[in-house]
Amino acid sequence: MRSTFMGLETSRKGLFTQQSALYTTGHNISNANTLGFSRQRVNMQATPGFPTAGLNTPTYPGHLGTGVEAGSIQRIRDEFVDRQYRQETNKLGYWESRSTAISQMEDIMDEPSQYGLNAALEQLWKGLQDVSATPENAASRKVAIERADHLADSLNYMDTQLKTIQGNLGNEINVSTNRINSLLKQIAAINKQVQEVEPNGHVPNDLYDARDVLIDELNSYIPVSVERVPTGGLASSVAEGSVTIIFKPYDGATPIKLVNGRDAASISVNGNAQIDGNDLTNVFDNIQVTGSGTTDTGTITYNQLEPGKGKLLSLINSYGYQDGANVKGYYPETMASLDKLASEFANVFNAMHEQGFDFNGDPGIKEFFVPIDNTKPMSAGNIKVNDVLLKDSSKLAASSGANEEGNGKWALELANIQSMVQNGSAVTILGKTITTGNLEGATFNSFYQAIIGKLGVDGEEAARLNATSETLLVTIGNNRSSISSVSLDEEMTNMITFQQAYNANARMITVIDETLDKIINGMGRVGI
Amino acid sequence: MRVTQSMLSNNMLLNLNNSYGKMSKLQDQITSGSKITRPSDDPVIAVKGMGYRRDLGQVEQYSRNMNEVNNWLDTSDESLSQVGEQMKRVRELVIQAANDTNSADERAKIKSEIDQIRKQLQDVANTKIGDRYIFSGTNTGKPLFVEATPPNADGTKILNADFTLYDGTAMPSASADKLNAPDGDVQIEVYNGIQLKVNTNGADLFGNVDALMGKISDLLDPARLPGPATGSEISEALGGFATDSTSDDITNIHNKILEVQADVGARQNRVELMENRLSIREVSVTKQMSNNEDVDYSKAITEMVTSESIHQAALSVGAKIIQQSLVDFIR
Repeated sequence: MRSTFMGLETSRKGLFTQQSALYTTGHNISNANTLGFSRQRVNMQATPGFPTAGLNTPTYPGHLGTGVEAGSIQRIRDEFVDRQYRQETNKLGYWESRSTAISQMEDIMDEPSQYGLNAALEQLWKGLQDVSATPENAASRKVAIERADHLADSLNYMDTQLKTIQGNLGNEINVSTNRINSLLKQIAAINKQVQEVEPNGHVPNDLYDARDVLIDELNSYIPVSVERVPTGGLASSVAEGSVTIIFKPYDGATPIKLVNGRDAASISVNGNAQIDGNDLTNVFDNIQVTGSGTTDTGTITYNQLEPGKGKLLSLINSYGYQDGANVKGYYPETMASLDKLASEFANVFNAMHEQGFDFNGDPGIKEFFVPIDNTKPMSAGNIKVNDVLLKDSSKLAASSGANEEGNGKWALELANIQSMVQNGSAVTILGKTITTGNLEGATFNSFYQAIIGKLGVDGEEAARLNATSETLLVTIGNNRSSISSVSLDEEMTNMITFQQAYNANARMITVIDETLDKIINGMGRVGI
Repeated sequence: MRVTQSMLSNNMLLNLNNSYGKMSKLQDQITSGSKITRPSDDPVIAVKGMGYRRDLGQVEQYSRNMNEVNNWLDTSDESLSQVGEQMKRVRELVIQAANDTNSADERAKIKSEIDQIRKQLQDVANTKIGDRYIFSGTNTGKPLFVEATPPNADGTKILNADFTLYDGTAMPSASADKLNAPDGDVQIEVYNGIQLKVNTNGADLFGNVDALMGKISDLLDPARLPGPATGSEISEALGGFATDSTSDDITNIHNKILEVQADVGARQNRVELMENRLSIREVSVTKQMSNNEDVDYSKAITEMVTSESIHQAALSVGAKIIQQSLVDFIR
């Protein structure tokens, strides 16, 4: 036997459900511009019909429907597109950071221009040529010595600036590490909240959204895998559970859990000897993972980081890392090339200078270029012209014979050092034997041009891959938005739908009220 | 595919950004005149550009060196012409003096002119450019002729004994018959690996000239022992000394001077050819450098104008689209 107020109940359920739907639409609209928000929809389902099976079931033709209820409120999100998005973010994080680092190096080297090292070498060549044309002229000697000093200054300047940027990169590694730790903690905190809410059958969509934003950002730093763990209890079927973040080493070693439920590990680069910008000899060695609770403790070495992914790896590559006995990395390697250029040039120049004769008839002094700091070897940051020459320009060995003031031949040979092939063998110049420097057969000019050429090619590659990754990310981002973002037109339409349904339900209640009124107040009253 | 407002506005922003990026790059190119501003824009252009700059710098320097070279050669040429002129005069005087009908007085007058010419020739041997003696080989700080100590009564100078030979040994004294000259070459580079000798080694030549002048002066000296020279002895100065076949006479000296002058002239010719070559090279390198790096203005400006109009179209269309939604039409 059906109840008297069954119709009312049905319509009341309808009212509430449409109202929930309206509220959800309102929620969607107000969050249309929230970062990472996925639109939510109410899953309406019909409530079980009457009568239900049982001992005292009345016989009825058919089942009478009893209305609608909001089964669950679910966010519209595609996990597969999320995964694609995070892979692209890895790559973008890597190339963006690399492109910036190389671009900064290009700014310092400043080629081709009138101000870089190429120009300084050219000026020195010209200065020595002038000396060879007028060796008796003290002014041209002075100018040549000053230009050699300018060359040393340029090398010093470049070295200092590159080291400054390298230091900044080191600091950025620190900042990134801190950010990663913060993200891990935040994800674990959200996991905790989710675990508290889900067993009650609730589906905390906004927490999921916030967690996904954090995971996206984490992926730009370091590539990680994400696994879902159901919460159990009376969790709804659309509940997403808590998230486990796992780092999978590239060489196939044991995966390391970084976030497991409400526990988060923390990472530090190089453990106790933290990288900071001040000590550039402290290059990357490993990442120490300190687990807490159910997360793992472990070490991540350089080879376990997947190449080409993640901002952290890019910073490490630029800053410098230990590879066996060598220090590798974009900045350390480029600076080592510059150091080699400086020290070989100084050595060869000094050796040649010693074999010439100066204006007073004495042999040239052995040390034209000297290190600024005697305790360290000559390098791009540690080179200058000997003070003896800066004070007395007559000591420049321009002549190839003693007591020949008009002889400028040795100055010419000093100028031509820049285009001499340097392969470590001995050469004879004007009867004197010099051992060339060791640049594997390059000349000083071509060696420097090769450094710039490599810089250009690497920079071009990084810029191109950066642009490609960005474009891909935009496409995938659009896919994601297409699925998950709020469309105001759609919400408006839905709003009208739900509003009309609400009105219809309300009208229905009025109708049933009238029928009840008829029964209660009108039935059995005859002829009044 | 479902398209939402946020997608529309994001895409519009992205495309506007790209458009700005293109315009910015074109603007950079137009204002700097160069296709690249950093090596990563185009590594090949960058490295080639560095090479061309060096080449151009070299050509500039060699042109500068040319000025020095011309200075040396022109001055040498002038001086040697002067010497040639003076030797002609000496020949005339000797012919005149060789006449036995001259009296002792007349001989004395001729001798005094010979002495003056000798002093002048010594001055020419000491010609300088700036601070440098051009005939002294690589000892450009030392003049060929210096005051004797004690100074000669007739004011003539003697050959500088300070000279060292190219291999470091000291020069023999002025009384030796043949003088070993310091044969140091002053060379200036005028092109890659090409060095020109710009000086003329004068110690040998001027030493011989001076020795001859000394002999002639001696021959005309009235106080000469064992007695005043005869006409035929004097005329030996013209064609060859009988008693001294290794000394130069006037004809020999004259020939030597012409030889040296011819050498200088030949070198001047060569310098002219080199100068020509340098100026052609300068034009060629500049052209290559320009082709390599310079932006084609008409192309860049056309692209700029196109980008601007595209940008404007994007702005106007975008504005229309992102403003409307269903909300505007529901009452």
